[in-house]
Amino acid sequence: MKRRSVVKYAAVAAALSMGLTACGGGGGGDSKGSDTVRVTLANHVWTEGIKAAIPEFEKSTGLKVELTQLGEDQLSDQYNVKLNAGSDEIDVMMYRPLQEGKAFGKNGYLADLTSKVAEDADWNWKDYQDGPVKASTYEDKVMGVPIITEREVLYYRKDLLKAAGLEVPKTMEELEAAAKKIASADTAGFVARTGKSTAVTQFSSFLYSFGGDFTDASGKSAVGSEEAKKAYAFYGGLIKNYGPKNVSTDMSWPEAMAIFTQGKAAFYTEADSLYKNATDPAKSKVAETVGFAPLPAGPAGSKPYNIPSWGLAINQSSGNQDNAWKFIKWATSKDRTLEAQKAGVPGPRASVWSDPAGTSTYPKDLAAAIAVSAEKGVGHDRPLVITVGKAREIVGEPIVASITGADASAAADQANTAFQKFLDDENK
Amino acid sequence: MSVLTPARTSGQSARSRDNFSAWANRHRKWLFAAPAMIFVGLLIVFPLAWTLYLSLTDSQGSVRAASDFVGFENYLTVLTDTERFWPAVGRTVSFTLVALVCEVVLGMCIALLLWRPFRGEKWVRVAILLPLVATPVAVGMMWRLIFDPNIGFANQLLGLVGIPPQPWLSGQDSALPTTIFMDVWQWTPMVVLILLAGLTSLSEEPDEAARMDGANAFQRFFFVTLPLMMPTVIVAILLRGIDALKTFDILYATKGKGGGSFHEVETLNVYAYGLSFDYNQYGLSSAVLILFFMIIIGSMWLLTMRKKAVSK
Amino acid sequence: MTLMTESQTSAGQRRGTARRRKPLRSSGYKVFRVIALVAVVLFLIAPLFWMLLASFKTNVDIYDAGKSFLFTPTAENYANVLQRNNYFVFIFNSFWVAFVSTALSLVLGVPAAYAMSRFTMHRSALVVLMARVIPGVSLLVPWYYVFSNLKMVGGFEVLILSHMFVALPLIVYIMMSYFDSLPVELEESAQVDGLTPIGAFRHITLPLSVAGMATAGILAFIFSWNNFMFALVLSGSKTKTLPVAIFDFVSYASIDWGGLMAAATVVTIPIMIIALFTQKYIVSGLTAGATKG
Repeated sequence: MKRRSVVKYAAVAAALSMGLTACGGGGGGDSKGSDTVRVTLANHVWTEGIKAAIPEFEKSTGLKVELTQLGEDQLSDQYNVKLNAGSDEIDVMMYRPLQEGKAFGKNGYLADLTSKVAEDADWNWKDYQDGPVKASTYEDKVMGVPIITEREVLYYRKDLLKAAGLEVPKTMEELEAAAKKIASADTAGFVARTGKSTAVTQFSSFLYSFGGDFTDASGKSAVGSEEAKKAYAFYGGLIKNYGPKNVSTDMSWPEAMAIFTQGKAAFYTEADSLYKNATDPAKSKVAETVGFAPLPAGPAGSKPYNIPSWGLAINQSSGNQDNAWKFIKWATSKDRTLEAQKAGVPGPRASVWSDPAGTSTYPKDLAAAIAVSAEKGVGHDRPLVITVGKAREIVGEPIVASITGADASAAADQANTAFQKFLDDENK
Repeated sequence: MSVLTPARTSGQSARSRDNFSAWANRHRKWLFAAPAMIFVGLLIVFPLAWTLYLSLTDSQGSVRAASDFVGFENYLTVLTDTERFWPAVGRTVSFTLVALVCEVVLGMCIALLLWRPFRGEKWVRVAILLPLVATPVAVGMMWRLIFDPNIGFANQLLGLVGIPPQPWLSGQDSALPTTIFMDVWQWTPMVVLILLAGLTSLSEEPDEAARMDGANAFQRFFFVTLPLMMPTVIVAILLRGIDALKTFDILYATKGKGGGSFHEVETLNVYAYGLSFDYNQYGLSSAVLILFFMIIIGSMWLLTMRKKAVSK
Repeated sequence: MTLMTESQTSAGQRRGTARRRKPLRSSGYKVFRVIALVAVVLFLIAPLFWMLLASFKTNVDIYDAGKSFLFTPTAENYANVLQRNNYFVFIFNSFWVAFVSTALSLVLGVPAAYAMSRFTMHRSALVVLMARVIPGVSLLVPWYYVFSNLKMVGGFEVLILSHMFVALPLIVYIMMSYFDSLPVELEESAQVDGLTPIGAFRHITLPLSVAGMATAGILAFIFSWNNFMFALVLSGSKTKTLPVAIFDFVSYASIDWGGLMAAATVVTIPIMIIALFTQKYIVSGLTAGATKG
């Protein structure tokens, strides 16, 4: 008897190692018209709202939702593995149109939603703002439905401005003068992101307002233009001259936001969607004194970005696209968008912004700033390329150079050459 | 442990089972070893072959997209890349070497402190075990808070003794040393345990004899204990070295993809990860991985040779 | 006879000599040693203690340097982690994946280690140990590609297989050095008594190896529990493990430091408790092979 168990033991081991396929079959499985919609979402306030409302969707449609929630980077890592392998494990996916849209579109990861969005007049695709719609389109095909939008606005400290007898700056010159006047040993005049790659998006509005862009009309690199050089020098100079002492050149928004909310800076330019970090007394020491204003105007006017930071798309390999679309339609409906917006997530629908209820929970000055920015906004906040990660590092180099006091103009020329080479490689 | 009599069953099946049993016993060497080898083989061979293949193509964007065979172009690109690849090699090597030196030296000191029994030994051993088993990503998050330039405890501590705040993880030059510090914190205990086991198994006579000859503690350590401990030290370096070369979790948790603004903690593993999952350049990434693999195997081989030489 | 008794005997010798030597020790060294040991313990424990403290603070308190040690503790972060973020599910997932992958790896690894030890199959052992050497990044995409074509993704299978890949080389390595230290004579005499070689392995060697298997198993469990890279890309909605779940507290619009530290504590505590109770096994496992020339 015992001897047989040894044999069995060995046989099990052999079977396990060789017949791996035999024990599979669970989980993934076939999804042809399945009643379960598998939704992958990023950690976000928007997601929290949707999560709470999902039972409502399940009840009204009879479908089941299987939700996966991940951090921003982990989400993109998973997409890169799963979509790459052509997995049908994901039906609905939350993605970043400007960061991944072009690459995913080119790789054929995303289903074409052009006819789907046109179907339902009640749901009303026309209600969506132009900038976000453009950013969600790849080669004239609608690839995703924007859910969260953001614009760059000026965060400032009302108390500090008042003490210094200053008005809210309307132009870049006024901003610099005000920052200069307020800057002291323990309070910085100005703070913003400084990381090579992370600062690119917040720098972009400065670039546009100085009359530049990442590429020119013919698609050539434009980061070496006179306008761009001025923008680099200005953004970097603000931080170098009036920023926090010994400023790190690796600050993303959490670090920069922390400096502002600790009361250690007077001005801060950042995405409006992060405003709750500054107004929530549980996180911010300056919750009472923070004010918001549109981005000050540069030589070319005030041109902040107005972009969809997140959208929903359908996995091309999903066998459950119709039900996936049902979920998207529900999650992006006017009602849900209004709910999300009330919870502090700026949405992409014009009708919600014009509805007083849509801005009821926002600080008045922020709502006004958003309205102005949405109107004049530019539809991208980073180079529109396939390998966005790499492009950001290239065009972000002069930002860091300028912050550290190196020659911004030379760095911009260098970046220009590198970026042009990058574009050539990509369009080969 | 009595001898077991085979269960009595009908003749034929008993015979066939005996036949099988005899066969199994004859071939037990491979019957035992093969399953594990096949398991690992199956899970390695395909990915390795795939990676090798990809490294010879210009695969980009998606591995399912059409790609062209480009021969050794990727290797050429990588090996002449002084902007990302060689600095990453440099960081990998310096991370590993500095971490290893610190861990072995510190580990040896702590092991010597623990060598002779003392009261409270148990508690010290518990303290040693905790960092070792702590989940690396959790530890990474912990250090991120402690080393935060604005709110971190590290700068508060420095403030107490009058040293100005340091940028730690967010500084261009201080990030790599800070991650090395984390590695040292987490893995010195492992080196301590390995060296302690070695010390414990040492015979007392040589030490005793040296004492009789009037050697002081330092002389006895450097001329008697250390030479005897060399094989153990090399085992510790070997075990730690593989993991240090491949360090990923704490770098990912503290600096994310790309290893920071200036790629200041971008080691080969992090670089390959970024090439794959940020840039989607699978051809290049595969070339980097193959080279990285060769570097690891090469250093393991060197160490094993060294160990054999020392043991003789 | 076994590793355990071996180390016990040497520990005994050690104590004897130590006692003999004590009078020679200067009191200066004793003081130095106490101070040094306290410093070592502080160095190792302080960061973990800080993490624990922060997990009981509100985010405002975390940002307040004045409240480093004096603050009103709150359990809010833990409520957040355990209730609202379903950490019990992740704890179960982590436990299940670690448990199953360890058990299966033992089934595959122990006989393999035995054969490799008894027949000195060093080259074959290298094949298995290769799993420990290969960079994990090169495995992710191919694995997922194959497994998704086999319709094996989404469940625990892939995750368990990938963790076995971590556990198996560890188990083979530890068990090989363990079997090396077991005298062959016992098996030989059992065979003289009429047992087949496999029978001798089953009835003589295995029962003697329980301590070794415990060591290998616990270490494999810990490594699986802590594994991040494989779980990051191979886990799905129902199978997410704790190390991946930690990142739930780093979201696009805010970092919840309090929640993050509570999550980190929740991830670390179970494995630390296991480690404390199995301390002697872990130590002998980590040091396996260390003392062989």
